Amino acid sequence: MTTTALTQGLERIPDQVGYLVISEEGVLASAGELENDEHTAAVIMQMVQTACKFRLHGCAEPPFKRMSVMFDDHVYAVTVSGQKVFVVKRHNTQREPMQV
Amino acid sequence: MGCCYSSETEGTEQSQETKPLIPHPNPESKPNNGTERNSANLPSARTDEQALLSSILTKTALNIIDVSAADSQGMEQHEYMDKARQYSTKLAVLSNSLSQKKPTALPSLTSQPHQVLASELVPYSDVQQVSKIAAYAYSAISQIKVDAKEELVVQFAIP
Repeated sequence: MTTTALTQGLERIPDQVGYLVISEEGVLASAGELENDEHTAAVIMQMVQTACKFRLHGCAEPPFKRMSVMFDDHVYAVTVSGQKVFVVKRHNTQREPMQV
Repeated sequence: MGCCYSSETEGTEQSQETKPLIPHPNPESKPNNGTERNSANLPSARTDEQALLSSILTKTALNIIDVSAADSQGMEQHEYMDKARQYSTKLAVLSNSLSQKKPTALPSLTSQPHQVLASELVPYSDVQQVSKIAAYAYSAISQIKVDAKEELVVQFAIP
């Protein structure tokens, strides 16, 4: 998979303001607010490595597809595919739901 | 070694973690803190009362950790140095085998990363619920405390 093929889909994600593609060696691609953001890459890498160690009883694979790091106004969505970590920073448009 | 209880359990249910790094050179030489615990060796001439007293003594000995006996082994300075060297050699060997372990490779969570990342964000109510549970857990953990009921070290009235 070329770098362009890796990032094409990321560009089209709704409300995205930046992304990172990270491998064990380092950052492969970055854009937007996460452009050349080595610090965030390192932090997210550690978090995802820790999260991948969690196992539910009797399951060999991690019991999740995506890790979401939630903030008031933005979210880091993280997943792993083919030994690469994909991080997308998205606007968090959700607010407290209206009480009816 | 100076603790009565530890010498009792030694060799019964020792897990890997509690096993001594360096085995005791001559286990027979352990001090028994002045109490004869081997009731089988009691001479038959002893009366029942003496046997009873002896069993009380044994029970008491099992329930205390004699801190004064810990120093009574009389280790010379060069013995301490020897032990320290032995431990550091052992530790060096063990840490070598540890550092050879590579961090585990990341598992693949999905074959369609773009779809997973583009899907709906976690609902606000779910985030609220997780925050609430985490706050409860934090509050519960912060209330755990040790309640000291009695003295850890007690002095026996020795005449």
